[in-house]
Amino acid sequence: MIRAIATVLVAIASSLFLLFIVGPIIGLVSAGGGRGIAGLASDAELRSALLLTIVTATTATVLGIIGATPLAYLLARRAFRGRAVVSALMDLPLVIPHPVAGIALLLVLGRGSPVGRMLYDAGVRVAGSATGIICAMLFVSAPLYVSAAREAFARVDARYESVARTLGDDAWQAFRRVTLPLSAKGLTAAAVVMWARAVSEFGAIVILTYNPKTASVLSYDRFTSYGLSEALPVAAVLVLFALIPLAALRALRAGEPIRG
Amino acid sequence: MISLDHINVRAGSFELKDISFEVPKAGYGVVIGPAGSGKTTLLETIAGVLRPTSGRILIEGTDVTHAPPESRRLGIVYQHAYLFPHLSVRRNVEYGARSTAIVDDISERFELGELERRAVTSLSGGERQLVAMARALARRPAAILFDEPFSALDPRTRNTMRRVVRTIHREWGFTALQVTHDFSEAGLLGDVAIVLDEGRVVQQGEPEAVFRKPATPYIADFLGAENVFAGVVRSVDGAGSRLANREDEFGKRAVEFITDALTFYALGDVSDGPTHAVIRAEEVSLSTETSASSMKNQFHGRITEIVPAGALTRVTVDIGGTPIVAAITTRSARELCLATGNDVVAAFKATAIHFC
Repeated sequence: MIRAIATVLVAIASSLFLLFIVGPIIGLVSAGGGRGIAGLASDAELRSALLLTIVTATTATVLGIIGATPLAYLLARRAFRGRAVVSALMDLPLVIPHPVAGIALLLVLGRGSPVGRMLYDAGVRVAGSATGIICAMLFVSAPLYVSAAREAFARVDARYESVARTLGDDAWQAFRRVTLPLSAKGLTAAAVVMWARAVSEFGAIVILTYNPKTASVLSYDRFTSYGLSEALPVAAVLVLFALIPLAALRALRAGEPIRG
Repeated sequence: MISLDHINVRAGSFELKDISFEVPKAGYGVVIGPAGSGKTTLLETIAGVLRPTSGRILIEGTDVTHAPPESRRLGIVYQHAYLFPHLSVRRNVEYGARSTAIVDDISERFELGELERRAVTSLSGGERQLVAMARALARRPAAILFDEPFSALDPRTRNTMRRVVRTIHREWGFTALQVTHDFSEAGLLGDVAIVLDEGRVVQQGEPEAVFRKPATPYIADFLGAENVFAGVVRSVDGAGSRLANREDEFGKRAVEFITDALTFYALGDVSDGPTHAVIRAEEVSLSTETSASSMKNQFHGRITEIVPAGALTRVTVDIGGTPIVAAITTRSARELCLATGNDVVAAFKATAIHFC
């Protein structure tokens, strides 16, 4: 009897929670989805914002993969002095408010800073450019990649590499021929998560680069300038757009066993 | 040749301390020890996976202490095989192989024909171990390290594969070091036995010598000596003694060993005082009555247990509250009509007693 009551309570709580998450999204898509999709054909600003979002998020993800994969590998495999500190530093961007992250980036990369001035002199403008968007996306989403990639490496037993080394591989060959193929699924999932997070970023981008506008900035801009009805199509398109990486992630994890 | 000279290694909270031994060129060394004694850590140190904090490692006379694993010319076979799951069985064997001809040869010896096209994830534990051995051997290393390589095989395949490995070892002349917790395997395969406990080498030598003369009661127990007794050694004095109290050319002298209510007559290079005596069950004979013989230790007792195990039968005899185990042939047990509760005489020679 108690068990049956507990089951009913769990079912009610789970359903309410699911409704809380899904309800607003369904409401948004049903209210603005049709107009948003139609707008893709007629709204040049929306098309441009979406294209910019895709290009900058992809660039940030590629840069993240290049820069963060070795770090994730080190954190997974090597016990070095200061590993805990490095791990904590990598998690920092996840816990600070994203506008604060944008301010920090502006301080370091804006034209008022020595680094920003040096970049500007070299012809690289960070604030108010696609480069700024990429920097903001990289800053807030790369830690997610590091965390997931580290987990992917940690799931591959280091003894596979040991065996490969005794079979004649040097460290790089063992990584390339054994660890990389065995962690490929996890690394791809990590990249998808990073890309999805980059696409949805707003807070850091809006501080560093208001124009040109990404899709998230455009939805905010239309909301503040024209009200809810104009913001709805853009927001709905963004939600539909987010389904692509989510579907990819589910497909990647389809073969994984349920642990328990 | 695999030679370790005062090696110290730290792996997490575990430590290997002052490990020194040598397996001669083309020899077969066997490391024996209980779980957690550091056997796998030892192999990984020799393979270059773990770095020693001090000491030297020599493979075929070359100092490889600081060399990376790929330049040590040795292979390692883990108990859990660690076959690369993204490659087929054939591709695994080919991974570091010297040539296709060697892969074909080794695959034939290990009878991998049926398995070659299969995914490694579909193999049984025993099949994985066979493929892992084939993969390591296909590289033709100068030395090879086996970590319980036969543990997942069924008894028949295990015997066959021991023979195959021994044959390849003889033909190719590599140096082998194998970890096992099964002492019978050491006797079957090894030229040198190294007993490891709590990160230290506690005894090493020819397997036969280690088996017959364990250095400590713990080793005796671990190596499966059923008769280990705590007691006191006392010199045999006086004209009436049955054994002369004189050292022989090996420094041994006649002594009495008193344990509980029993007194054994023994020869040993042991001082008076408390010690342990080990008598292997195979050294104890049983008869239905006392006989005039050269065996100085004959005790009346009652059979409490009979355990037949193939050609051998282990019989436990209670002698005044002290159990002694005798391993006799099953045929002898049948001929003597032994049964639980029967009175028998257990006998063993003074030289069958080893002190440790």
